[in-house]
Amino acid sequence: MNFDFTEAEQAFADEVRRFLRANPPETFAVDGMDAGYGSGANSRAFMKALAAQGWISMCWPKTLGGREQPMFMKLVLMEELALAGAPFGPLAGVWQTADAVIELGTERLRREVLPAIARGEATFWQGYSEPDAGSDLLALKTEARRDGDHYVIRGHKIWSSHAGIASHGLVFARTSREARRSRGFSMFVVANGTPGMDIRPIRSMTGEVYHHEVFLDDVRVSADLMLGPPGEGFQALLNGLDADRFWGRFYKAPALTRVLGQLVDYANTTLGGGAPLARDPFVRRRLAAIATDIAALRLIFYRAGCLIRDGAPLTYETAMAKVYADETGQKLARLGMDLLGLWGPLREGSRWAKLGGQISHLYQTTLGHTIAGGTAEVLRTTVAVRGLGLAAEPKVAVESKAR
Amino acid sequence: MDFRLSPSQQILTTTARAFLRQHCPPELVQRLALDARGFDEGLWRRMAELGWPGLLIPAELGGSDGSLLDVIVLVEEMGRAGLPGPFVASAVVATSLVLAGGSPAQQKRLLPALAAGERIASLALVEESGSFDPAAVALECAVPGRLSGRKLFVKDAHIADDLIVAVRVGAAPALIVVPTDRAGIARLPLDAISGEKLFEVTFDRVEIRPDDLLGAAGDGDALLAPALRAGALARTAEMVGGAQRVLELAVEHAKTRVQGGRPIGGYQAIQHSCADLVRDVDAARALLYVAAWKAAEGRAAEADAALAKAYAGEACLAVARRGHQIFGAISYCEEHPLHLLHKHIQAASLDFGDAQLHLETVARAIGLEGRA
Repeated sequence: MNFDFTEAEQAFADEVRRFLRANPPETFAVDGMDAGYGSGANSRAFMKALAAQGWISMCWPKTLGGREQPMFMKLVLMEELALAGAPFGPLAGVWQTADAVIELGTERLRREVLPAIARGEATFWQGYSEPDAGSDLLALKTEARRDGDHYVIRGHKIWSSHAGIASHGLVFARTSREARRSRGFSMFVVANGTPGMDIRPIRSMTGEVYHHEVFLDDVRVSADLMLGPPGEGFQALLNGLDADRFWGRFYKAPALTRVLGQLVDYANTTLGGGAPLARDPFVRRRLAAIATDIAALRLIFYRAGCLIRDGAPLTYETAMAKVYADETGQKLARLGMDLLGLWGPLREGSRWAKLGGQISHLYQTTLGHTIAGGTAEVLRTTVAVRGLGLAAEPKVAVESKAR
Repeated sequence: MDFRLSPSQQILTTTARAFLRQHCPPELVQRLALDARGFDEGLWRRMAELGWPGLLIPAELGGSDGSLLDVIVLVEEMGRAGLPGPFVASAVVATSLVLAGGSPAQQKRLLPALAAGERIASLALVEESGSFDPAAVALECAVPGRLSGRKLFVKDAHIADDLIVAVRVGAAPALIVVPTDRAGIARLPLDAISGEKLFEVTFDRVEIRPDDLLGAAGDGDALLAPALRAGALARTAEMVGGAQRVLELAVEHAKTRVQGGRPIGGYQAIQHSCADLVRDVDAARALLYVAAWKAAEGRAAEADAALAKAYAGEACLAVARRGHQIFGAISYCEEHPLHLLHKHIQAASLDFGDAQLHLETVARAIGLEGRA
């Protein structure tokens, strides 16, 4: 056992902290809403600043412009960025796409997409869910029909985060009918603005736009923009979702640590009934209890990170970690709302808003986290079936009445 | 960062698991829980032959030169087996105190015998306040002089050869080592649901000699802090091991118990409950290992240990309660292993500080000002 960073990891953490002091996160222009996951707002300017440090591509092979840094450096970077509240929104998605392109991508994707990622210019939306294909992703109806050296994509995607401000979509579509339900799917990297693509914003309960729906009306895509072998997209997607759960939630513990610190300051400096809230035994106990959750959450992710680093097989770890991250976030948001009382629901910018109005934002955004990227129910089933070896529930086919 | 056991810790774990499977089956745990004395001398002797009670003690004093982290890994296996007995009280807490505060003469007299399992020692700390906070100790004692008063919740006092008693000499916190055969000591059993052997110990004008002092008068709190931390971590390891066993039993039951034509583990209601067991055990273990590693490395570990103990108390008890629900009626039976694992976890969650005490330490560590 050893729970220290290596010297190189510690030196890199110090370097990131120096960078953040020299480039305060709040000075970067924001393009898209902070979804509350912990990666802050979407900021193209901040992504470019990370790119200028060489940090987006630091773990890539040298032949592809990287510096072949160990994967753990990404964890160090994300943890420092999240602790500082930096707007690195698209980073996790960008890293996953880059890894997939490096592993499975065509020559063209490597040549065109990787440099744009390294420059901090390319960011991606996920075109997976559809109106009738949520937790049951294989029910999707979007089809990509082969036409010479192109595919023609037709369908309707929904819940695509930041699709309106990203550069490319990762569109998952059926390319053939096969006997096995999970075969015959493929993934395409489709540039925004491709004719036939219509991206429409969905205003969320926070009042801001985070998700989009995307209509694909005979969108022609060159065959060499397919990511991975044709018809084998589902396994690649599952691997991607496994990674998504890890990379898309790794920074939640440090982000919640940051919020917890703000709530502690608030409790120390705010009077309730004539004494600081911090002196209320119930407040102390609740804040301390959630600190234990956040500490455990951080370790659960670092443990999964070690397994990934060491190439050890993962079965339940990322599914479990995601559920824990999202439920802990909800718990902290709820605690924050309780602590702020009447001031809790005030929005950012409102008169009398406390802590910048961010707790009401967090309270709302965290509600979506146990739904997005695999619901808590689906993931608990994954832990039980894949991790513990319990038998999957028999599937019962029922005609969907939802329209 | 590395969460894995070292090769020697893996051997320790494997050896312990095999040994305890053979020598500490659930039937023995049951029998000892129901028996008033509840101590298996043969089992204790065999544990001593493996060097376990001497794990914290240097080789030159008859020990086996292990670290606190080794102890934690071992106690996790003991918790998994539901092993009753004085290991934590004697080989972890009392041994830590003698190692830290004992004079050369006391160490020479006590440590080789503790390492060989020939002597058993236990800490007498808690009084009627019910607190493990050393500041709550009120029992006064002149050294030399006579000790009169009582201690509560003293573990395994009936088989202890020595009691380490937390007292005040004037206002100064101090520890004294008193052999249990000294005149004026009475050990009165408390009847706890866990089957753990807890005692009220009364002292009636017990003679206290100058060389009974462990360290100097005034050293009490400084000596107690690391020993109580070691005890809290060991009890946390018991909880984690016990919860791990509940998880294994519950999953096995979910795979084999058929209702409505399929194993109950094929229903999502049970699956989701099992998934939460995994999270609780994994998270509690991770916090435990970090705290034990830091303590073993000699770093500041007060907040980490408090975090681990408070978390495990909640999480492992939740595992035990959920375990009963997964098992259904059968786990309500005395002969079923679940209830004793549950009660061990319950007892461990209170020993060396409950969640309330440890969460206060966490509250200070995260920067909350003032004390409630």
